Amino acid sequence: MSGYGLYLLTRLGQFALVVFIGINIAFVVTHATPIDPVEQSIAASTQFGSINPEAIEMMRQSLKELYGLQGGLWDQYVTFWRRIAVGDFGPSLSAFPTPVSTLIARALPWTVALLVVSTLLTWVLGNLLGGLAGYYRRNRALRFAGILAMAFHPIPYYIVAFLLLIVFGYLWPVLPISGGYTMNMEQDWSWEFILSLLRHGILPVASLALVGLGGWFMGMRSLVSNVVTEDYVAYAELAGVERSRILRSYVMRNALVPQVTGLAISLGSIFNGAIITEQVFGYPGVGTLLISAVHAGDYSLVLGITTVSILAVSFAVLLIDLAYPLLDPRVKAR
Amino acid sequence: MRLWRAVAALVVAVWPLGAIAQGTISDLPRKETLIVENPEGTIKNAGWFNIWAINAGSQSNGLQQLGMDTFWYIDPQKGVDGVWDNSLASEKPIYNADFTEMTVKLRKGITWSDGVEFTADDVLYTIQTHMKTNGLRWSAPVQINVAEVSAPDPQTVVFKLKKPNSRFHALFTVRWNAMWMMPKHVFEKVPDITKFDNNPPVTLGAYTLKSFDPNGKWYIWQKRDDWKRTTVARFGEPGPKYVAYIDPGPPDKRVIAQMNHELDIIHDTSPEGMFKLAKDSPTSHGWFKGFPYAHPDPTLPAVLLNAENPMFKSRDVRWALALLIDIKAVSLASYRGAATISAIAIPPTGAGPQYYHEPLEAWLKTFELDTGKRKIKPYDPTIGKQIADMLRPSLKDQIPTDPAEIAKAFGRGWWKPNPQAATELLQRAGYTKKGDKWYMPDGKPFTIHVMVEGDLRPVMTRAGSMVAQQWRQFGIDASTVVAQGSMFDRRQAGDYEAMISWSVETWGGHPDLAYFLDSWHSQFVVPPGKPQPARNWQRWSNPELDKIIEDTRKIGFDDPKGVELGRDYVKLMVREMPIIPLMSYNVFTVMDETYWTGYPNAATAPYTDPVPNWGNTKYMMVKLKPKQ
Repeated sequence: MSGYGLYLLTRLGQFALVVFIGINIAFVVTHATPIDPVEQSIAASTQFGSINPEAIEMMRQSLKELYGLQGGLWDQYVTFWRRIAVGDFGPSLSAFPTPVSTLIARALPWTVALLVVSTLLTWVLGNLLGGLAGYYRRNRALRFAGILAMAFHPIPYYIVAFLLLIVFGYLWPVLPISGGYTMNMEQDWSWEFILSLLRHGILPVASLALVGLGGWFMGMRSLVSNVVTEDYVAYAELAGVERSRILRSYVMRNALVPQVTGLAISLGSIFNGAIITEQVFGYPGVGTLLISAVHAGDYSLVLGITTVSILAVSFAVLLIDLAYPLLDPRVKAR
Repeated sequence: MRLWRAVAALVVAVWPLGAIAQGTISDLPRKETLIVENPEGTIKNAGWFNIWAINAGSQSNGLQQLGMDTFWYIDPQKGVDGVWDNSLASEKPIYNADFTEMTVKLRKGITWSDGVEFTADDVLYTIQTHMKTNGLRWSAPVQINVAEVSAPDPQTVVFKLKKPNSRFHALFTVRWNAMWMMPKHVFEKVPDITKFDNNPPVTLGAYTLKSFDPNGKWYIWQKRDDWKRTTVARFGEPGPKYVAYIDPGPPDKRVIAQMNHELDIIHDTSPEGMFKLAKDSPTSHGWFKGFPYAHPDPTLPAVLLNAENPMFKSRDVRWALALLIDIKAVSLASYRGAATISAIAIPPTGAGPQYYHEPLEAWLKTFELDTGKRKIKPYDPTIGKQIADMLRPSLKDQIPTDPAEIAKAFGRGWWKPNPQAATELLQRAGYTKKGDKWYMPDGKPFTIHVMVEGDLRPVMTRAGSMVAQQWRQFGIDASTVVAQGSMFDRRQAGDYEAMISWSVETWGGHPDLAYFLDSWHSQFVVPPGKPQPARNWQRWSNPELDKIIEDTRKIGFDDPKGVELGRDYVKLMVREMPIIPLMSYNVFTVMDETYWTGYPNAATAPYTDPVPNWGNTKYMMVKLKPKQ
């Protein structure tokens, strides 16, 4: 077997192991929760209405039967893996009988769109400005951008989100502060709908981008600062190569390799959702779904979301691992 | 400088955009649309409208308020035409002498939103479906109570019960919700109703579903063209043509949305949010014109003491803990003073004060507590007034001066803090103080963990923290335990020592207490570790209480003896102190009059509870008129 083939097999094995262990841990953690979905349902049902105590015990038994929770933990574990094998997470316990996969499929596009846009925007702008700042170190505008990036970076993104909310939702109310699109609008991909989507996405994206920008900016600036001291850059400058070409082809390209790795991991983690951003801006998505599932003790749904997340992150890392030897022969050699 | 000038010019140029850039509803005239908060938040199963399935979808997204109907409603306040309303029924429930049979006469001329007439067949279908189907929201109470149901004619339904039940009608009487009627012609075609989403719902109420967000952020309901063939038509035409139920987000965002006039009714916000709106939004108002603004719901937050825990077995200990609480500090800590306190185990709202608080005031003033060394009169009738006086310097004329208004807004009296009497009571119970710490009779430190819900219910959490702090200052090792989402589980399992919660909930507008009290009978108290059914979370039992409950079961709902028995219950609770009542559950519902007028309020229009997730909200619709 060739070196790359062996490398591929090893990495695929690691991928499968990580996914298996991750999902098992998720199963144990979700089932260790002190919140019982049956009791949550009963509490929600009896919180306001007049219910006879005798009826409550009957309701408890019916719900356990309905939710399929009568077996022991081992039975549930076996059933869980049987379902996972065919891509079925079973019914949600807090939105019974709707399948978990339906709920995730409904929420996921919103989260993916929000986080792909904010991650890519942040990555492109952060690296571009960081690269320029690292190369043109005396430029005042870029130094100011560096100060701004360093100032925003340590602020928790939910603080920035609240600031944006107050500024653009209250003091100068020009942007919507809740929801994914305008009420009573058909989701028909008309211009009106797309514009509405964009308007509703501005503040959530901005809150993530403003904070995330600093990390990429500072990382890229440091990388470029190191690369510019390399001999080949010095030779290129001495040889009279255009500065823009040196920056583009000699500096940025070499500095980008670790940033690409970071991007891949960031894109993999978008399936975790942006819980607080979604909460602050009332934006639909997996984060909102996850919080609601945790509060309701809906471990089917929590497990479903967690499994999707584990698969996505592991798959992103696998792709990077598989791509590395193609980019850098030293990895294959090891 | 040029750059800054350009930025400033840009800001000035785009600033007016603020006036036009909002706009939350597409294609609907704002002046014809009422926008209401759905406190359930974002609904994950948005397209589910089968309300008979347990918790599969939203209930207070307008579905139960605008789409559902049942036999009777009891209003938590005065009601549009009295507290009791015959809705789908044309008269009150008719019981036989031993309460084993209940006859319901139905109103004629009511139709479903698809034009089909509502008749006794729908009732029969609803009941029989619940009798033969497990796992529906009302399957269990129907299966336990109903032996047989029949319809001698299209407007009469007769229930034969398995055993006497003088309160069987409560199942069909709305207090927040009740068992709603199903459209037979829709559901009978469905093979498995537990898996039927009922989308779009055929309604009996005056509205039908117009549109909804698949992600569960909003629902829009439209007034039926044939609204005259619904039960609320007796009171006039519903004002709003459209009603939107939305998830506006956390409390601060609700305040922002109302200040931008994009949310007409806030279901509930923080005390601080309410104060902000009262100060800066002239069109916003609460249930009370001034402080405390909030609507006192017929629910009684209290310190529940787990009666199965040995440390609370002694009445002396329970009373000692009550006498260590300064309710003024609890009111300030929890509701920032906007609480309506109650010394007795009845919510101080609706019919409560008229039937219980006022008549029992004289008894409370003379009530004596024997500490073992002396007798004290623990009740201080002036505490409500003291809270009002305390707040008046900062809130000035927002605080009423009329004693009757003060009692209505802040409550009447409470137990005067008395550490000396508490010491005597604890000593009589065998507790001892060494240094500055108290010890139990077995020599272990007197430690109390007060369970609170945490961020999910901050007002009650703050109340719990204050109570624990006051006990701690006295030398008891008290602290709070934040249960967050596990609160319901731990409450049901009895996995707590003391907690801030409520086990007393009443009809509000009607003095009958069986609504919650029947479940307090010792027959339902379970051993430690077993799940306790609602609502006797404190797991307290008492032969005298059992007798009161059994006597109540033997009399009719409107029998005046019920109030006498209710007062006996109150006196027993004061003597035994199994829970320490604190105050009513005040809900900061805020209504904006920019687009609509006619909202309920305490002073001039107490026709219903303004809290908009109650089924009773349907009556608000007929009172609302567009602002001219």
